[in-house]
Amino acid sequence: MIDFVNKPVARLILVGLPALALQTTFFAEVKIFGVVLQIMLALSIAAGLAGGSENGALAGFVFGLMFDLVLTSPLGLSALVYGAAGWGAGYLHSRALENPKWLNALVVGLMSGLATFVLPIVANWIGVEGWLSSRLTKVMIVVALSNALFSFLVVPIARWSLAIRRSQRLAPPAEVFL
Amino acid sequence: MPVYSVSRRRAIALLALTSILLITLDIQGNSVVRGLRGVFSTIFEPVQSSARVMTRPLENSWRGITNYGELEAENQRLQDQLDQQEGAFIAALATARDAQELLALNGIDNLADISSVTAQVIGGTPSNYSQTIEINQGSDRGLRVGMPVVNAAGLVGRITWVDNDRSLVLLANDSLYAIPVQVVNQPNIVPATTTTTTTSTTTTTSTTTTSSTTTTLPVVPPVSAVVDPNGITTTTQSMTTTTVDLSTVDFGALAPTTTGVIVTIAPGTTAGGPTTTLNLDDLPIAETGIFRGRGIDNAPVVEFIDQNSRFGEVQVGALVFTSGGSQSLAPRGIVVGRVIKIVERTGTSGAVLEVRLTAKLTSLNFVRVLLYQPVATGAP
Repeated sequence: MIDFVNKPVARLILVGLPALALQTTFFAEVKIFGVVLQIMLALSIAAGLAGGSENGALAGFVFGLMFDLVLTSPLGLSALVYGAAGWGAGYLHSRALENPKWLNALVVGLMSGLATFVLPIVANWIGVEGWLSSRLTKVMIVVALSNALFSFLVVPIARWSLAIRRSQRLAPPAEVFL
Repeated sequence: MPVYSVSRRRAIALLALTSILLITLDIQGNSVVRGLRGVFSTIFEPVQSSARVMTRPLENSWRGITNYGELEAENQRLQDQLDQQEGAFIAALATARDAQELLALNGIDNLADISSVTAQVIGGTPSNYSQTIEINQGSDRGLRVGMPVVNAAGLVGRITWVDNDRSLVLLANDSLYAIPVQVVNQPNIVPATTTTTTTSTTTTTSTTTTSSTTTTLPVVPPVSAVVDPNGITTTTQSMTTTTVDLSTVDFGALAPTTTGVIVTIAPGTTAGGPTTTLNLDDLPIAETGIFRGRGIDNAPVVEFIDQNSRFGEVQVGALVFTSGGSQSLAPRGIVVGRVIKIVERTGTSGAVLEVRLTAKLTSLNFVRVLLYQPVATGAP
C-alpha cells in the first residue's frame, strides 16, 4: 500500500481529487471579478517546476484529464493544454540555475496566463465556439495573478505529488545533464 | 547538446496524442468516453460532496463579505417589484387559464401538462468557458439527459449529465447549446394609411370575405397596437383609441397562408373617403430557426431562419419561444428571450438574430426540470 502511495501517478491522483473537489465547489462559487480561479492549472504548472518538463507534462495531463471528466467540454482538451503548460514550466525551470520562490511565482503566473489564452484557441480549432471573447483578457490577468500567489502553496504540494526528494530538488534539473 | 532524450520526447508526444485521440472520440460521441465520465463521477462524487460541506461556510463568508451591500440593495428592489407584480400576477393567472383552455380546445400541448421537478442549484461552473450548473435532483426523480430546464423567467438550459441524486445542466448561453425556436414579432406597429373617421367598416380578405361592424375613432400616426385573440386595440399617442373588431376573421385558417394577404377595412357605404388597410403581416408571425448559445460574453443567436420567411419583418424586440416538434428536446412555448439585434448577412446564409435571454443565468437558485422527452426518443 505504501509503495503504491509513493508512486507519482498515485500521488497525483490523491492530490488531484481533493483539488478538483475544491475547484468544483469552493472556486466555482468564489469568483474574483467574475473569474473562476484555476487551481488545477496551477498544480499542473507547479509540477513542471518541481519535477521538470516530463513530470510537468504527465501531471498536467492527469490533472487536465480529471478536470475534463467533470466538464462538458471535449474530453482531453484541458489535458492537452495543461500538459503543455506543465511541460513549458519544466522547460523554463531547466533554463535557470536557481529557482527562488519569486521566480516560481512569476513562471506560474506567466504560464497560467498563456494556458488560459491557448485553451479557447485550441477549443476554437476543434469547433467549440464562443470561448474566444473580449472577456479573455480579464480571465488571463486574474488567473495569472491568482496562480502566481497559489504557487507558494502548490509548488511544495507538487513536489510531494511527484515524490521529489530534497536532494533531487536542490540538484540542477535533469535536462541539464542530457 | 539535446535537451531531451528520444524516450522523453516519445513520452511527451504520447501524452499529446492521447489527448488528441480523446478529443476526437469525445466529439464523435463515443460511448466509452461517456462511460469513463460516469465511472469517474461515481468515484469523485463522495469527495466532492465532502468538499462542498466543508467549504460551504467559507463560501457563505465570502459572499457575505463581497456581496452584502449589493444583496441589501437587491432585496429592497425585489421587494418593490414584488409589490408591483402582485396585481399583475392575478391578471396573468386569468390570461394563462384562458390560453390553456384555448390550447386544450385546439389539441395543442402546453407546458402546464408537463410534469416537472423543482431543483436547487448546488454548484456553479468550475471553468471560465463552459456554462454549466449542478442541481440537486437526478435520475431518482425521473430526470434524463436532454430534459429542458426552466425557471420562472424562461429557458435556462438542458440536462447534460445525470447521476442518481444530482445532475449537470448545460446553460442556454453555452456554445454547445442549440435548440429549435420560433420568433414571434411583437404586434406593436400597425401602419395606418388614413386618418379618415368612419362609423362602419367592412372587413375583407383575399381568401375569405367577412363582414363586421366596428367603431373606429380618428387614427393619428404613429400608432401603437396591442392584439388579443378577439381583435386589435390600437392606441394613438394622443390617447385616442381605435378598436377594430376582427373577431369574425378566422386567423387559424389564415395562419399558414397569410403571407402578403391584406385585410382591407373599407369605409362603410354611408361614408366616403379613402380605404384604410391593415396588413396581416404586421400581426404576430412565427419564424422558425435554431437558437444557439455563444458563451458568457456573447449574446445567443437565432440563425438558419426559414428561407421562406419574411425576414425583414422580424423586429428588434420580437419574442423567441421554443418551437417544440417531434425531435426537439424542449416542448413548444418555453420563453427563451427577445431579439435585441438583427445582423444581416450576405448570400444565402440569411440574417442572424441576437437574443437577450429572459432568464438571468448568472444568479440561478431554484430551477424546474420539465420531465419532457421528444416523441422521437420514445418518451413516455
